[in-house]
Amino acid sequence: MSGVRQVVGMTGDEAVAHAVKLVNPDVVAAYPITPQTIIVERYSDFVNNGEVDTSFISVESEHSAMSACVGASLTGARVFTATASAGLALMYEILYVASGMRCPIVLAVANRAFSAPINIHGECTDQLVCRDASWVSLFGESAQEAYDETILSFKIAEHPDVMLPAMFGIEGFIVTHALERVETLSKQQVEDFIPASRMVRDRFCPDENKTFGSLVLQDYYMEIKRQQEEAMQNAYKVTKDAMQEFSEMSGRKMEIIEKYQLEDADYAFVSYGATAGNAKAVVDRLRAKGEKVGALKIRLFRPFPSLDIFQALSGIKAATILDRSATFGSPGTIVQTDIASALYGKENVPSLHGYINGLGGRVLTLPEIEEVYEISKEYNNIGMTSTTDWVGYRK
Amino acid sequence: MTKEVPEEFSRWTKEKWGSSQLPMGGTVPYHTAYGYKTGDWSAFKAIIDKEKCISCMNCYYYCPDSAIIMDDDLKAECDMAFCKGCGICSKHCPADAIEMRRVTR
Repeated sequence: MSGVRQVVGMTGDEAVAHAVKLVNPDVVAAYPITPQTIIVERYSDFVNNGEVDTSFISVESEHSAMSACVGASLTGARVFTATASAGLALMYEILYVASGMRCPIVLAVANRAFSAPINIHGECTDQLVCRDASWVSLFGESAQEAYDETILSFKIAEHPDVMLPAMFGIEGFIVTHALERVETLSKQQVEDFIPASRMVRDRFCPDENKTFGSLVLQDYYMEIKRQQEEAMQNAYKVTKDAMQEFSEMSGRKMEIIEKYQLEDADYAFVSYGATAGNAKAVVDRLRAKGEKVGALKIRLFRPFPSLDIFQALSGIKAATILDRSATFGSPGTIVQTDIASALYGKENVPSLHGYINGLGGRVLTLPEIEEVYEISKEYNNIGMTSTTDWVGYRK
Repeated sequence: MTKEVPEEFSRWTKEKWGSSQLPMGGTVPYHTAYGYKTGDWSAFKAIIDKEKCISCMNCYYYCPDSAIIMDDDLKAECDMAFCKGCGICSKHCPADAIEMRRVTR
């Protein structure tokens, strides 16, 4: 019954754990790391209490966690894991193995800043730097979106046209540890949304004479990698359809990009994750002052929705990109360079002003975002088409 | 264990298949590791003196390629189809029964 909605107070991490519980994957192999720990802690409670059928593999590192996930996934199991920051960096080698061997593993990332200096707070660099690993990559703004994207990720990853792993990120502490209102789904709804067992093309099994992970050199490597690119392109449409289906099932609108007051806007904020909430709040404040401004939130980062972003920003004069990620010596912020590529050579597109902000959990306040907005307008007025600044730090 | 090359794999290699034809993720429809005779890579071979072998089975457990087999008298033998000549068995043999001999081709 989709008409009955249950509302529960949950942190982002708890929301993920409860959503995974409804999916009931065959294997979870994970290693604790702040701010992700609550996800695997709660989930190991469910395993211990017999509330799920999952085999929980405790491992000695994230490298081993992802390796165990790859092995389990190859046997045809439905697999979930979670990590953050340094843990994701340690998994990095195996991320490519997971996607290269076409293992539809789902990974929850509690986005956290990289060391050094050591810091445990929210920052999305960890997930953004995995952009080339051939993983479907999503960002969530709230505990609700974390809950929804957990279930959605299985649907996308395991689709026969995709068969790639998927990760979704929620910002450390800002989302993972904040108690929020979450509308839950019923076990039946999730069972109807996700097939009971996943599509398996090749099963890693002693009875089958198959070699997995063989050495592939100059003569076949590019062909195998090209398959991944095609799968990634398929993932765009699969995600779009899955979000549509999810919206109908849950009654909550879910889109690849979310447009907020953009129809008549001259200026726009572009952001992803928790920052999008602040951007929308600033839009309300600026609209009250008569500014024609809107906000664009990116939920799907890989495959990058170039066309959707171009259409959404078409006719806008200047876009302020709030990027909670660090990159050094780059022509723009990580998301800004992607947007710039998507818009290059097209007409009627905005000037792009990227701002590296919020590193290591630093808060960029609403008045500060308003200031940034004014700076972007000023840059645009003097004809600068692309700028990148750091904001919200002491000089 | 399949001894002959499956139809799919022989066509794949003969016809030089592309990305749209190859199995997903480079999975080879051929053998498990037991089917690949990789012993001809080696520069050294383990030559075992069965007279000296004391059946401790150290070599059997240390061999990274599972190339040591124990015969009916529990004496070590080396399966040359898999021995890559690393010499670990020789180093671990307490009876000094394994000699690493250079392969001449």
